[in-house]
Amino acid sequence: MRNLVCIECPIGCSLTAEKSGEQWEVKGNRCTKGVDFAINEITDPRRSICSTVRTTFKTVPRLSVRTQGEVPLNTIFEVMEQINSVKLDHPVHIGEVIIENVSNTGINVIATSDLYYLLEEDQR
Amino acid sequence: MGKSLKALEKKVRKKISPDVSLREWRDSIVLEGMVGTWEQLYNAGKICANQGYKGVVNKLKVYDLDIPPAKKPLLTDNFLQDKKVDVLIIGAGIIGCAIARELCKWQLSILLVDKEDDVAMHASSRNDGMIHSGIEPKIGSKKALYNVKGNEMYTRIGQELDVKIIRCGSSVLFDRKLLSLAKPVLDIRAQKMGVKGVTVLSKEEVLRKEPHIGVPVAGALHLASVGITSPYKMTVAYAENAVQNGAEVSLNTIVLAMQKEHDRITSVVTNRGTVYPKLVINAAGVFADIIADMAGDQFFTIHPRKGHILFLDKKKGELINGVIGKPSLSLAKGNTKGGGVVKTVDGNVLVGPDAYEQPFREDFSTDMENIAAIMEKHLPLVKGFSPSDVIAYCAGIRASTYEEDFIVERSDYVPNLVYAAGIQSPGFASAPAIAEEIEQITCKALGEVMEVKPNIHWNPIRKGIPDISHMDFAARSQIIKENPHYGEIVCRCEGISKGEIIDALNSPLPVYSADAIKRRVRAGMGRCQGGFCLPTVMTIIHEETGIPMTAITKKGNNSNIVVAETKQSPKSGGEMNEQI
Amino acid sequence: MNRYDVVVLGGGPAGLSAAWAASLNGMNTLIIERENRLGGILKQCIHDGFGLVKFKEKLTGPEYAQRYIDLVKQNNIPVLMNTFVIKVEREQDDFVITVVNSSQGVAQIRAKALILATGCRERTAKQVFINGTRPAGIYTAGTAQHFVNLEGYLPGKKCVILGSGDIGLIMARRLTLEGAQVLGVYEAKKTPSGLSRNIAQCLNDFDIPLHLATTITRVFGDDRVEAVETARVDEHMIPIEGTEEIITCDSVILSVGLIPENEIAEMLDIEMDHVTKGPVVDQNFMTSVAGVFSCGNALHVNDLVDYVSESGEIAGEKAAQYVRETSEREFVDISMVGQDFLYVVPQHIDIKADNKTVILYFRSREVRENMRVTIKSGENVLFSKRYIKLKPPEMERVRLNLKGDLSSGVIDLIMEPVKGKEMAP
Repeated sequence: MRNLVCIECPIGCSLTAEKSGEQWEVKGNRCTKGVDFAINEITDPRRSICSTVRTTFKTVPRLSVRTQGEVPLNTIFEVMEQINSVKLDHPVHIGEVIIENVSNTGINVIATSDLYYLLEEDQR
Repeated sequence: MGKSLKALEKKVRKKISPDVSLREWRDSIVLEGMVGTWEQLYNAGKICANQGYKGVVNKLKVYDLDIPPAKKPLLTDNFLQDKKVDVLIIGAGIIGCAIARELCKWQLSILLVDKEDDVAMHASSRNDGMIHSGIEPKIGSKKALYNVKGNEMYTRIGQELDVKIIRCGSSVLFDRKLLSLAKPVLDIRAQKMGVKGVTVLSKEEVLRKEPHIGVPVAGALHLASVGITSPYKMTVAYAENAVQNGAEVSLNTIVLAMQKEHDRITSVVTNRGTVYPKLVINAAGVFADIIADMAGDQFFTIHPRKGHILFLDKKKGELINGVIGKPSLSLAKGNTKGGGVVKTVDGNVLVGPDAYEQPFREDFSTDMENIAAIMEKHLPLVKGFSPSDVIAYCAGIRASTYEEDFIVERSDYVPNLVYAAGIQSPGFASAPAIAEEIEQITCKALGEVMEVKPNIHWNPIRKGIPDISHMDFAARSQIIKENPHYGEIVCRCEGISKGEIIDALNSPLPVYSADAIKRRVRAGMGRCQGGFCLPTVMTIIHEETGIPMTAITKKGNNSNIVVAETKQSPKSGGEMNEQI
Repeated sequence: MNRYDVVVLGGGPAGLSAAWAASLNGMNTLIIERENRLGGILKQCIHDGFGLVKFKEKLTGPEYAQRYIDLVKQNNIPVLMNTFVIKVEREQDDFVITVVNSSQGVAQIRAKALILATGCRERTAKQVFINGTRPAGIYTAGTAQHFVNLEGYLPGKKCVILGSGDIGLIMARRLTLEGAQVLGVYEAKKTPSGLSRNIAQCLNDFDIPLHLATTITRVFGDDRVEAVETARVDEHMIPIEGTEEIITCDSVILSVGLIPENEIAEMLDIEMDHVTKGPVVDQNFMTSVAGVFSCGNALHVNDLVDYVSESGEIAGEKAAQYVRETSEREFVDISMVGQDFLYVVPQHIDIKADNKTVILYFRSREVRENMRVTIKSGENVLFSKRYIKLKPPEMERVRLNLKGDLSSGVIDLIMEPVKGKEMAP
């Protein structure tokens, strides 16, 4: 039996999920989104990861990045390791791929800040 | 010899504890033995004070109380090894720095040492910066003498050292009309002590001066000569002027021992090597008695009296014009003026202090009970002050002797040791006068062993860092034209520019910690307490000095602000990572 | 002297959208920004969750900000960067803004309308009366976030966090991801302040304990934080004697609230709401001083940047309207009935203005379930909605139609329990 708080909307229903055979029975939800949420959280929890990568630019030593989608919860630190090994040496725009298929999750890591813009502002 | 030793011993044994014994040593009275509480230790000392002995040497110990020794700096090297100097000044608070500066008038090699990472780290940066009038101390005391003199001298000193002083005056309120009849008594006292500008104000007059007073008031004693300034900026200014005139300052330097020959100090051992001074000046604040003991000359004892002060947001500064205090029956739990509210030279409001005896000489931690008591006692003085206006608070320790007066003299037994010790309130107000007195004593003592010639290159003028945020717009534009860094505002609460921070890092006595910058230019002292500007201040320190960000400290030693760069080893995950 | 129709103080999300809206409405607009880049606090909010309402996407702070930065650039709206406002005053019909920067020294700018988008600052350790020593290692969450996300430095390796607001929760996760150990999050209230999503994804995911009704009372450590003392607190948030615990750590991260920055509003003697700590405004976000508008976190602390942008857009649009035609205002107060509401923004409605609909934001004072919120003028019901749950940390947005009879002179905002059986939504 698992207890979860649904995060699909601000109400935050307290859910319980119990395994019955191959199925999970979810209770406490006020809408169907809660059932999907609970089942996903239990069977295949995923998260988006937002972090930064190192750069070679003195005025912008870190650039923000994120996974372009959600990766399995249990790969968080592996993905972080990959992200931390990057040292970006060229400007990028938002959305450019920094790491392709990070940790074999099928998800890319993309830039979320515009390094062209940030460097340009420093030139002024 | 005054009151019979035996009688005192009997009294102490009766009132405090039978485990105490008294003896005479030179001209002082010594207490030895064990007591149960610090209060007992202090009270025993008090009983023996001013009973005809020169000083109280309180060697009592408290059961189960471990008092740590002076905190040592981490630094150890031979930088000062075998150094010969004419004068070694121990302690770089306002007193030590002022003495160094005055001694620069003479052709003397001067070394000023302090165990902290900056000047003014103890009481000199933890007081209200008030230049008292001098009317409060006991008539005939050294406090009275030097306070009145120092008060007058500060006008010139402020100008020479380029430190802002405001003669705002102080209103000591009373709520009973009868007290205004004290006027003739006050006049006599003021005249006797040489204090000018003492008047008694009627209720209307007080309210005109301070329209927002929030307590019932029948009148006030007004002391026009009272001024306010920044005590740490003044200390830094004195130190910088001394350095400009050739004095040397060695921070992170602690005195560990002294050697004597024929009663004279011949060498002083520090963590940076052994120094050979012709004369030593003891301005060591809360540790002055420890230093005296190193010279075999401890004739007094420091009992640390702690006090808290609070700072209110500048916004409330407009509700007060000067200093307001209201003495109460619980006024002096140990010689404090009772405290009040002070409009500081920067426009903040300072509240407090309180005062209480406790055993620790460097315990600057704050306690909520004390903060709450100060707020309850003093905030009501002005309508509109509230606990939500508090932006900061801190504690300081007063270097009080049992005699509760300054020690400004040459040692009776060690001919090349001079004391500027036991300097508690009104110590800051008295500093310029104490410094000049010590200068005279020192020159006379040195004159016995060398020729003391005037320094013809002596320059009393020191230019401080420009106060950009208070300049008029034309002057401000001009200075920015000359140096664009003055136009880049870093600390938004106080309006401090990058240029001022760079100036601090290039000052005659540069110190590279974040707190040192704060003391010199106030960046980080505003309502957000450095929340916005700290990273930028650190970046400027790094760019100007090359010090890596991870090595920049808050206040020296191991107070690094950030602990590591992120992503140093790629593997930086939670529990898995043991490396970072 | 430079003259503009509308000058916006602040280049964060509120200021950017305000400037864009003003410009779109034909105004000659200027943004004044004290930092060296646009985006405000979003620059360091590298986590996602921004823009769900506005763009139906889950963006990070910098991505969200860039959308508006691009709009400002595309519309060629001038920006004075690295420029600090030192004074603002009224001069006849204009506002004179005195600024300082490296290239111009002290300069003055004239504006017909002013939009204050100055954001907020963080409450400090001293403001929550944390006592003890003052070592290195005590940082507000925003400062810690700046160190980690912009400069790449860890403020500590073993952290305790005080405050369960979103910023504290976000930093709990961020510090953990970057290799620090977060020992726990302490919250003086009985319920957490942040969004449930953040409790789940920032704390539960990493097994970081959340200690409710517990606060940090004392810090230990000489040069660096060595430990803190925690204590449980009662309903009045007073520490309970005997419940103290010592936790060894090397840093304390504080997430104890945001305070709108309104030094400039105070220079203009604008009427302030002491609960929101922002100006009192009407439905067009105009303050008590005609021609001065307030939006974003400077007006009141928001939860969603989407609403910050919305307030900026309205302020910008209405500032433009004001410049074109100033008119007399007539206010009807929005009266919060009882003690159920913490605050409502706007605080009053200008019934002479031409809005047909009005956006209102309110916060419930406490956690409530199954409540009906009604807004009415006399007997004229303007709005009525049932809320399954209302929480102080979750600001509610209401779209109000100003219809019918408003002559009663007051608008009541009422919260009452829903009568009858619970119905399926």
